Amino acid sequence: MRKLVSGILSAAMVASLMAVPAVAEETADSTYHVLYSGENSTLNYLVTSTQAEQVCGANTIDTLVEYDNKGNVQAGLATEWGVSEDGLTWTFTLREGVKWVDHTGAEVAEVTANDFVAAMKYQLTPEYESANVQNFFGKIKNAEEYFKGLAGEEGYEEIAFEEVGIKAVDDYTLEYTLEAPCPYFLSTLVYVNNMPAYGPQLEELGESFGTDNEKMYYCGAYYMAEFEPQVKHVYKKNTLNWDADQVYIETIEKTYNTEAGTIGPEMIKRGEVDEASIGADILDAWMADPETSELISKERSDTSYSYFYCMNFNPNFEEEYAPANWKLAVNNENFRKAVQFAVNSIATISISEPNAPQQYQSKTITPVTFATLDGVDYTQNEAFTSLEYQGFDMDKAVSYKEAAMEELTAEGATFPVTVLVKYNPSSNDWDKECVVLEQQVEYVLGTDFIDIVVEAGPSENFLSEVRRSGEYALMKCNWGADYADPETWTDPFYQAEGDDLGYKYQFMRTAINEGTAAAADVQTYFDLVEEAKSYTIDLEARYDAFAKAEAFLIDKAFVIPYGISVSSYICTKLDVFEGQNAAFGISRLRYKGMSIKDHYISMTEFEENANK
Amino acid sequence: MAFRLQKEKELQDSMVQNLQRQLSEEEMFSFAEYNEEAGEKVDFTNYSYWRSTVQTFCRNKLAVTLLCVTIVLLLFTFIQPYLPGQYDPNKVNMDMMTFVAYRNVAPNSQFWFGTNVIGQDLWARIWAGTRNSLIIGFSVAMVEACVGILVGVLWGYVRKLDFIFTEIYNVLDNIPNTILLILISYILKPGMRTMIFAMSLTGWIQMARFIRNQILVIRDRDYNMASRCVGSSTKKIITKNLLPYLVSVIMLRIALSIPGAIGSEVFITYIGLGLPLEVPSLGQLINEGRSLMMNASLRYQLIIPTAVLSVITISFYVVGNAFSDAADPKNHM
Amino acid sequence: MIKYLCKRIARSLLTLVIILTVVFCLLRLMPIEGYFQNFDKLTETQIQVGLQEMGLTDPLPVQIVRFYGQLLQGDLGVSRVYRANVPVMDILADKIPLSIRLGSMSLLLALIVGLPMGGLMARFKGKFFDKFGTLFIVFIQAVPAAVYYLFIQMFGTELLGIKMTFDAEDWRSWILPVLSMSLGNIAYYGMWMRRYMVDESTKDYVRLAKAKGAGGSRITFRHIMRNAIVPLAQYIPTSFLNTVIGSIYIESLYSIPGMGGLLVDVIKRSDNTMVQAIVLLYATVGIIGLILGDILMVILDPRISLGKKAGGR
Repeated sequence: MRKLVSGILSAAMVASLMAVPAVAEETADSTYHVLYSGENSTLNYLVTSTQAEQVCGANTIDTLVEYDNKGNVQAGLATEWGVSEDGLTWTFTLREGVKWVDHTGAEVAEVTANDFVAAMKYQLTPEYESANVQNFFGKIKNAEEYFKGLAGEEGYEEIAFEEVGIKAVDDYTLEYTLEAPCPYFLSTLVYVNNMPAYGPQLEELGESFGTDNEKMYYCGAYYMAEFEPQVKHVYKKNTLNWDADQVYIETIEKTYNTEAGTIGPEMIKRGEVDEASIGADILDAWMADPETSELISKERSDTSYSYFYCMNFNPNFEEEYAPANWKLAVNNENFRKAVQFAVNSIATISISEPNAPQQYQSKTITPVTFATLDGVDYTQNEAFTSLEYQGFDMDKAVSYKEAAMEELTAEGATFPVTVLVKYNPSSNDWDKECVVLEQQVEYVLGTDFIDIVVEAGPSENFLSEVRRSGEYALMKCNWGADYADPETWTDPFYQAEGDDLGYKYQFMRTAINEGTAAAADVQTYFDLVEEAKSYTIDLEARYDAFAKAEAFLIDKAFVIPYGISVSSYICTKLDVFEGQNAAFGISRLRYKGMSIKDHYISMTEFEENANK
Repeated sequence: MAFRLQKEKELQDSMVQNLQRQLSEEEMFSFAEYNEEAGEKVDFTNYSYWRSTVQTFCRNKLAVTLLCVTIVLLLFTFIQPYLPGQYDPNKVNMDMMTFVAYRNVAPNSQFWFGTNVIGQDLWARIWAGTRNSLIIGFSVAMVEACVGILVGVLWGYVRKLDFIFTEIYNVLDNIPNTILLILISYILKPGMRTMIFAMSLTGWIQMARFIRNQILVIRDRDYNMASRCVGSSTKKIITKNLLPYLVSVIMLRIALSIPGAIGSEVFITYIGLGLPLEVPSLGQLINEGRSLMMNASLRYQLIIPTAVLSVITISFYVVGNAFSDAADPKNHM
Repeated sequence: MIKYLCKRIARSLLTLVIILTVVFCLLRLMPIEGYFQNFDKLTETQIQVGLQEMGLTDPLPVQIVRFYGQLLQGDLGVSRVYRANVPVMDILADKIPLSIRLGSMSLLLALIVGLPMGGLMARFKGKFFDKFGTLFIVFIQAVPAAVYYLFIQMFGTELLGIKMTFDAEDWRSWILPVLSMSLGNIAYYGMWMRRYMVDESTKDYVRLAKAKGAGGSRITFRHIMRNAIVPLAQYIPTSFLNTVIGSIYIESLYSIPGMGGLLVDVIKRSDNTMVQAIVLLYATVGIIGLILGDILMVILDPRISLGKKAGGR
């Protein structure tokens, strides 16, 4: 037996030593090296809704239209397009001679209108679990009916796919039929759900489409040459792309490392990677060091997400936090206003962005620069500029506090009002923000008025456990734009009768259902939104009406505007302003148009580039 | 035979004679002289196991010092919040006019250990963290020791139970802790009690296996065989024969399981299932410090909690080792 | 002995079934949210269709029977979340060899260094080498691995002039991961070897050997070490088999695509088929390790008996 043991030992030793062959090092100049810390679970762009997984689709599949680096729409796979007079039928003329290539870059077939139809059919098949299928509902004619019919949902019958509003008139003409006129339809095209996929391949692979780089074809600026999960992703330039002249980076090599946040910065110092993000925790130290401060720039600011504090109208938490008392308080306008004015988002934003937090602060739900009309930013609409709420104001907070105390005492509320604030412990810095929030707001309003209790929620299933079940009083929520129109920002708040309120935010409709003090105001808001939605042709009237509704929501302090996603500080050799840009969609994920510089961009350069 | 009878008779006679002898008073009662040497001899046989253990232990100066360090540390973590001028470990120190926090302040006279990334006082957090970590460590070690020894002894000694316990061990040992941790964090609120519960739930199983293996080694040794032959009860064999023999290794094991529990708390925090921010712990502090490690100027946030953790671990290790040496009767003398 | 082993293996199969069943049931307690990559964006219909497709709407016993049915055909299923629709076998096949290679190299290093170190420390108890060794062991035990690994990586790569991330093709990039991984085990084996040897060295047979006039080294290595190694030997097969588990810290730091952290990852992402497959793998490995460990112990120490019921109570 002892011999056996030593036999095993030596076998293991031989096995372990054998497999270490010699080295070959190569670094091409136009290869962009970067670390990534979360692995894709799929490359199938037709089913995923996470940004990280859409990177693949964004760079390897082209869309009908594209945005340039200033955010203007330009031709993509479609060379021309037009809309019928009733605004319901959009017709696209496709570019001829665009090729599908495989993972070696070899030509496979031509991209035709049928590939768009096939891709939509794939997504409308319930068993493929496409996360973006709802983007079609209410937009593309009969998409919802077809999908729900297939799934056998009650009240729906199976209908033929031909009745869905997408049609390949011929190989190079694609026609979309909408349910209702949609002024922002073009913007929705630059998203994964409207990308093409080679029809015969989809048919053949079905569920396993996109599970590997060999199991999909590419027509975009790059093709995925290597996909070794948890090792690396290698994108290579697709020389057959119709716009290959605009693609400057030859190879993009992404290396997996779950500790990218810790070792990435050090690798920048050693020049081993071309990009790494610099966390707020080490930012000060990097800025203070003259050598490293030259290496830091930022991401291009992102207006596709907005953050705000929601006040829950249907408190569903444990008795010890007095949900009934909170319900009284939240229905009181003065109480809401006191809290609204007392929250200083600068204090919390500066946890992740200590240097210029005010850049990311919002006074509206719709982010600045999200939409413009006749050169005027949507958030500069008169409805917003005339609002009383213009951010943190200590004096106003205190005066509303006094008014609220008087009214609420009369209604039988007890003080201090317990405010349960929950956070997801697996979400970066959220815990820290809550601690700061607690201290800051309690300082302004006094602990005689308000007692903020910060509690960690479960790190798994946070949404369903906390937000959807109403287990919070006050919580920071966010919403991402689904299309380039202000309507997208009303989606979480507008709650029609019969909606599953768990999927909306803060249960405002509960006030109406239960007839509590805030019911009238909530109803007014819903009416305002409905009115705004009815303007489909006159953009000015539409924008004015949506601005009015949103301003009302803020004025009645149903929400507390907070800010937009903080652009993280990064070290990069790219000029981020060369890339495509749009407030919605996957444009920002594309490498097309960007070129690798021979040095890391500094902050001054970044600002120069921004103003170019 | 005749010879024997004759001898017996003689003996009996002489005894009777002796007894019948007349004795004077002095001969019957006299004071023995005090003999110091003889006294020493008596004292030696008056051997006390625990006294000898303590005596042997005390001879190890380093261990005694570290024991004192541990005790002082332990006391200090509880006294610290009541000292004057202490910050609340969860308080974010900020300028109340501008609401700008004092972030990443290097150690100075105001913040003795500096502040962390959001401006909490590290001095206060480290002591609160040490306190929490020690509480976790002690609680988990106690549960492990009690359950582990009980199960381990039965498992190792009673052969009929071996099958069942081995089965239980195999099952428990192979259910990934992470599943339990996630399930528990899903059912219970994250916090100290949950953490202790989660860690104890399966922690004892290793201790039990350790004891079982030790018992297996000595179970059939001759003196136990002998005990069984003369009919000692199982309970008696276990408590009088087996356990005393194992005191030294068990002690070491317990001493190590305290820092062990603290260490696994570091790991649990690393995989993202740790304590919430408002309950500081060494694991949490170290994990926060890790992300700053690449920056020399911020490294204090990693080094200080690591140093505290190391001191605790070293103390338990050395004290445990010294005590287990001392607990071995062969080292008494 | 053979008979005992057969029985033992049969029992182990039973154990495996119990483990898998328990884990299977535990996993069904997890919330359904995890089964979908994009739960937030899915419609109620899609969720229902998905659950049905996964067979999660069936009663638990039905699910269990189906699971074992597939397992008997050697089908471990496909991953759902970790890598959607890719067979679990394919995913594991890429990862296992790397972790084993890395782990066994480091374990070998640990045994080669750790056991003699512990032996020598016991031999020269209280002398310089013992103190030095103790210092090393104490340091490794005291400083969390998560911390010193990071230091080794940072300064080690600089010293060797290599990249911070791992490259299987470059033998130099194996040095630091293997070294880092073995440190803990070196300390472990060193510490227990010393402990057991010190314990043994006060025993009567050692005194007798001394009285007989046997030399110090002879006693240490012929008598004491052989006895001291018995309790340790039991863990050695398990340790080797356990290399398949990998190291979460090392593999994350150096970007090594092994098994380290895979289990934690798939559990957190509720990829049940993956969890079941990995649990099956680890449990098998653990049980085989236990059997081998017991056998090894019997062989090394004839006084220990496993099978016979002699003197049993």
